[in-house]
Amino acid sequence: MLAKLAQRIGGRELTLLAAVVAAAVVFASLSPVFLHPNNVYAIIRNSTELMLIGLGLTFVLAIGGIDVSVGMILGIAAIAIGNLLLAGVDPWLAALAGPLVGLALGAFSGTVIVLGRIPAIVATIGLLGVYRTTIFALLGGSWLSGLPSSLSEIFAARIAGVIPTSYIVIVVAYAAAFVVLRRTPFGLHLLAVGNAEERARLSGVAVRKVRIAAYMVSGALCGIAATFYIANYRNVEMTVGSTVALDAIAAVVLGGTSILGGKASLLGTALGVLLIRMLQNGFTIVGLPSLWQPVVTGVLLLLALTLERAAVAGLFRRLGGLVAARRTA
Amino acid sequence: MKSLKTVLATGVAVLALAGVAIAQEKPRVAFVPQLIGIPYFNSMEAGGQKAAEEFGVEFIYTGPVDANPIDQLQIVQNLVNQGVEAISISTIDASAIAPVVAEAKAKGLKLFTSDSDAPDSGRDVYVAQASDQGLGETLIDQLVSRIGEDAKIGFVSGDATSSNLNAWIKIIQDRVAEKYPNVTLLEPQFAGGSSDRAAQLASDLMTANPDLKGLIAVASSTCPGVGQAIETAGKIGEVLGTGYCSPNTARSYIESGAMGFTVLWDPAALGYLTVWAGKQLIDGKPFEASNTVPGLDQPIPYDAATGILLLGDPTVFTKDNVGNFDF
Repeated sequence: MLAKLAQRIGGRELTLLAAVVAAAVVFASLSPVFLHPNNVYAIIRNSTELMLIGLGLTFVLAIGGIDVSVGMILGIAAIAIGNLLLAGVDPWLAALAGPLVGLALGAFSGTVIVLGRIPAIVATIGLLGVYRTTIFALLGGSWLSGLPSSLSEIFAARIAGVIPTSYIVIVVAYAAAFVVLRRTPFGLHLLAVGNAEERARLSGVAVRKVRIAAYMVSGALCGIAATFYIANYRNVEMTVGSTVALDAIAAVVLGGTSILGGKASLLGTALGVLLIRMLQNGFTIVGLPSLWQPVVTGVLLLLALTLERAAVAGLFRRLGGLVAARRTA
Repeated sequence: MKSLKTVLATGVAVLALAGVAIAQEKPRVAFVPQLIGIPYFNSMEAGGQKAAEEFGVEFIYTGPVDANPIDQLQIVQNLVNQGVEAISISTIDASAIAPVVAEAKAKGLKLFTSDSDAPDSGRDVYVAQASDQGLGETLIDQLVSRIGEDAKIGFVSGDATSSNLNAWIKIIQDRVAEKYPNVTLLEPQFAGGSSDRAAQLASDLMTANPDLKGLIAVASSTCPGVGQAIETAGKIGEVLGTGYCSPNTARSYIESGAMGFTVLWDPAALGYLTVWAGKQLIDGKPFEASNTVPGLDQPIPYDAATGILLLGDPTVFTKDNVGNFDF
């Protein structure tokens, strides 16, 4: 039973789920407020943007790419939404501006990487600089602060006390991503490009188009994240998005999506995001200095890369064998 | 041989002319903020620019984009290499700048601090916005007068290496130990420069401490996060936010009641005083115990023992006066 489940869901996802549960148990035993509905809500709400950005990065990593400028795309989209809200535009229209700006920036990044034939890591470090300066120029030295709360009313409302309404969008996005990845030719092409680009090309896959499309998906999801960012924080400061890329890449890689491409796990990404945000929250709750939080994210990322495949797979084979043996006995 | 002499002579003449040309240019005063592009330092820049016009110097404003001490040091190093006559720094990492101060001295340049000090670096002078003592004590006294002496208070700070932020936290802690025995101060949390991290830390602190009564945003970059977190948690009236926040940044939170008041000074006046001090140093004029600065109303005290030039008392911004300021 467990072995079958492990096979179906995947070893990495089960390991992560176990880590999430273990972390929750430890924090709950150290602090009585950890499992309070308000705190559960806080963890889930603080995961909102990372859930979407991580989902987009899963597509990018699946083709063997990477994007370290995702936080800046979120920033530029957030500035667009913020300015529209300030100009009195209808909040639903302003919310739409986020994904549109993100899509455009993603298309730009993808084009630079693919048509410029620049390694993605180098290209997106360059674009990070370009986008960050764009944020400076757009904000002109003054923060967008105290924006109208119209978007907050739509997206920060709670379902069942602990889940923000923004999660309706997130669930739909993950479901759509699942269908695209597993049930459409495009999804197959994505993974094929990530696995072996040359072979995919020879098999007639439009490799360039597929790669640019992956960055467009990621950009659009960063834009949706920007909408929720504005709903949650109602301000855009100069350093917007500066910690996003590390958290998001760590979450996706933790989730079992291969940094080398060809392998994607949506459930893994969601669990990775949850684990990172939960650790950050739990450390503050139990009173550990917040200075250590980036260290934890960094170490998790390194651990995930080190453990990649071998150890985890081996553990679950043995675990599966054990369960099977006990059942036959 | 003759031609070589001619070349040398011409070269010397050209150099001499160039020397004259350089000497005729205005002296340069640089200010290196902790990061560029935030309203606070923009305001200092504007004040510095005004003083530069007033006192006939060229003003250079350049700094890192993300409050990174290594980037800041490189920028200072570049200015020293260019031979900029007076360089002022809002220090990010006080322990890192001593070597570059020594190098500037060896070149005959003036290197001093403004806004955030590096006391043991050998700098010429520190242009202080308000005494750290005054800022720390004003904030905690104002906060306790509003939420009572029996209170639990949290800090959300910026970078753990910012010497000015740490100095204020220390003074608040000392003041509480000495004057308010019933106040409980939580360990400071550090959000870096990111306001969403500040909001997360603020909301986590409120969750972990249901009896929290006050939240101090120590760095200006953490102000929107703290204000927003109190609004989102629906804790207006229960938790009072405050901090070292500019009126523009805190305005909407002061109006909503999430922040009761904020404490700061006028950064434009600080930038103005910084450039004036740079000009004095270049001219080799010593600071008096009390200085009259053209363009500033109040006399500016100078403490020779600590080498601190002091702008004045901090300002408390509340619902009643926040509309009078724009920075």
